[in-house]
Amino acid sequence: MIVAEIKPFEEIMNMVRDRKKVLILGCGSCVSVCMSGGEKQVELLASALRMASNKEGNQITVGEKTILRQCDPEFVQQIQDDFAHYDAVLSMACGAGVQGITQWMKNVLVFPAMNTRFIGLSDGQGKWVEICAACGDCVLGLTGGICPVTSCPKGILNGPCGGNKKGKCEVSPDVPCAWVRIYERMKELGRLDELKKEIGAKDWSKKQRPGRYAIKE
Amino acid sequence: MTTVLVPPCQAACPINTDVRGYVSALARGDAEEAIRIIRRVNPLPSVCGRICTRLCESACRRAQVDAPLSIRALKRYASDQTKHLSFIRHPLNSYKERIAIIGSGPTGLMAAHDLALLGYKVTIFEAQQVLGGLLSEGIPKYRLPKDIVRKEIEDILSIGIEARTGVSLGKDFTIEGLLKDYHAVFIAVGSQKSLYPKCKGDYLRGILSGFEFLKQIDRGEISLPGQKVLVVGGGHTAVDAARTCIRLGCPNVTVVYRRTLDEIPAGREEVEQAELEGVKFIYLASPVEFSGEERVRRVRFVRMELGEPDISGRRRPVPVKDSEFDLESDAVIFAIGYVPDVENLKEDSLKVDRKGSIIVKDDTGITDIKGVFAAGDVVTGPMSVIEAMASGRKAAGAIHRYFRNIPDKEFDNRVSLRSLDEPLVKLIRKSERQEMRALPVESRKNTFDEVDLGYDREQACREALRCLNCGAGASVDEHCAACLNCLRICPFGIPVPGKENADIDISQCQACGICAAECPASAIHLGSEGKEDLRQEVERVMDSARQETPEIVVIGFYCRYHDPIGPPVENDALYWIARFCTGRLKESQLIYPFEAGADGVIVSVCPADECRFRDGASWVAEHVKRVKRILKETEMGADRLALISDEEDFRGFRQRLETLGINPLRKGKKVGA
Repeated sequence: MIVAEIKPFEEIMNMVRDRKKVLILGCGSCVSVCMSGGEKQVELLASALRMASNKEGNQITVGEKTILRQCDPEFVQQIQDDFAHYDAVLSMACGAGVQGITQWMKNVLVFPAMNTRFIGLSDGQGKWVEICAACGDCVLGLTGGICPVTSCPKGILNGPCGGNKKGKCEVSPDVPCAWVRIYERMKELGRLDELKKEIGAKDWSKKQRPGRYAIKE
Repeated sequence: MTTVLVPPCQAACPINTDVRGYVSALARGDAEEAIRIIRRVNPLPSVCGRICTRLCESACRRAQVDAPLSIRALKRYASDQTKHLSFIRHPLNSYKERIAIIGSGPTGLMAAHDLALLGYKVTIFEAQQVLGGLLSEGIPKYRLPKDIVRKEIEDILSIGIEARTGVSLGKDFTIEGLLKDYHAVFIAVGSQKSLYPKCKGDYLRGILSGFEFLKQIDRGEISLPGQKVLVVGGGHTAVDAARTCIRLGCPNVTVVYRRTLDEIPAGREEVEQAELEGVKFIYLASPVEFSGEERVRRVRFVRMELGEPDISGRRRPVPVKDSEFDLESDAVIFAIGYVPDVENLKEDSLKVDRKGSIIVKDDTGITDIKGVFAAGDVVTGPMSVIEAMASGRKAAGAIHRYFRNIPDKEFDNRVSLRSLDEPLVKLIRKSERQEMRALPVESRKNTFDEVDLGYDREQACREALRCLNCGAGASVDEHCAACLNCLRICPFGIPVPGKENADIDISQCQACGICAAECPASAIHLGSEGKEDLRQEVERVMDSARQETPEIVVIGFYCRYHDPIGPPVENDALYWIARFCTGRLKESQLIYPFEAGADGVIVSVCPADECRFRDGASWVAEHVKRVKRILKETEMGADRLALISDEEDFRGFRQRLETLGINPLRKGKKVGA
């Protein structure tokens, strides 16, 4: 799941300060799940925008809408008539949603209300942790299901560096060493022997941007 | 047939009363709304509020936690508080058909009420001089004051019902005769013939029927039956007769019942009250012989023991050999059962069974004479008032369908919510049942004043707040993003991951509303609170603030469970809005008041360990924290919102608020504009 967080309010305010009619558009998928850009947050941001604008003496009309996904044109097109009533759209989706609207809705001015953070995993109520760097060349099969590219701050592939202290990373004592975790996991799985084999150099060409993927070659 | 899931109390009620609805209104202190809800189905609320057998309470799921809700007492409170109001209803239609109703007990009254409201011309024929059947003559005044009965009957008649009293079937008119003037006849004459055991000496003077005795007392026809009264039986009539004797000044009253206190149909509470008043109880005994010259002087009893259960499910009392014992007595009142008195019906060729009950097709009351219907005790034998009312209602429906050629019978499609799961029961906070005030025992002798004095406002609120709001909890709509946050935060562990969405079992949900407040997709809705309810309340409050124009306006939210009878702090700037737990207040709801022009918002904080819903206090604290951040970011001032726990907190809050000045959103405008 894509994890995103709402931008500082001042930054949002600066983007739409001069607009008279703003549509806040929530996304009913990933950002609803990570509780940052669903219907509830749309309502809160709308209140905040109205209050801040009114306080500055600007009468602003704020619309609220949430669609199932902003990363598919069909869902976005379902509300194309609504766009006409606003000067700007403040998208509460991840970056994909903002750019989708930009591409599909030629005359609509879109601003991002969110900072898209990472592909993440639920880490208890109201918490998420980055778990996949979308490197395009997955090695999880070799590392006991723990990603060294994401979990190791240095992203190194063939065993730990020298900075491991009591199982923690030298970058931060809060970060467990990914390679210690991989070692422990492979031990549990009885696969330690396999770690003797080098993963080798990573094919970063798979990460060439913009990434593309198609079902049909 | 589609079914409707209803709370157990409602499913148990023979007339389908929305108990949860009116109890919730009382919890909000709104007795008028409560009585409106009750009166939708019940034209005798003051009567039922006093003498209903309360099947609802037997079904109440709070019994799994501590004790059932005192529903009957709450109904009484609602009707007592609103007795000054008029509830006269008018028929929506007008049909030409005339209907004769024989008998004006609960069955006849209910049928008359329903048929008159449907638009039929109804005439009641009552053999006695007063209407009401056993409500007027039979249930003692100290349990059911007669002015209350009279008032409710008058209200029913005011729909446009004609009533003739002192005219009895067989003597003054026949069914055949009625059918010449009326398009339908409904027989609801009850079951008033007392059963007597076949004993030696049962012809002696001083042996009375309980029901006849109570009727005569109500008519003022007789006085003290004797000095040593034995009452045989264990139903309401038996205990009523015994307590009546005490009030008449009888020094020695004993109830003899053939089973034990555990089986007594009058119920433990009635027995306790009778004992307080001086009635003695002998269990497991049954009379076998009366002796005396002319008048009874002595009664021989045999000891009983409980054997195998009989068809009623109660253990059958069996005589113990050689266990006879004698009791002296100069009056014996029998209250062991009643059967319909259908002597007068014989000439009308209605089919009657062995027990004397009229044979009908089913609960529609259709008899084998076209246009003649029967229901209530005369069909089923004695039943409770509420069941009798229900049978009157069913028959009224059948009569209406008969006239209007509506073929389908109405089915009871109610299904009760299942019991609370045991692990959940342990998580529900206990709450003591409110005891109703009663007339002191010494004041009950020589007077028929009502014994139960009803709840006061505080008791009614506290009792109503014990309701578990069964079935009014959370439901998930199609906008659910399946984030599963509700699973992680529910204090009772009710939500589970479903195939696509979170599933919340409505039969177990405690309706705290925490999940709804936290749902990122706003996909969770509470049965007990509409989405816009709070916004509307804020607007209402701001309207009244506008009328009063105080310098500053603070909206306060408080928890009804923590402060049942009113807000915790009073101040002229403060306008309170109550919630069933403040943990359900969404961040957006804490912001509404500012957008509506309030200068400040406070939330009265509850001690975390006292929260009805375990985590409510910590959630409201979290929501307040988040909204304070928004107020800071928007430069409205974080200090406009605070959690307060007492007067001192509020003074501090008000000082900070005065430093901030009025809400910048209403600069130059009136309050709330």
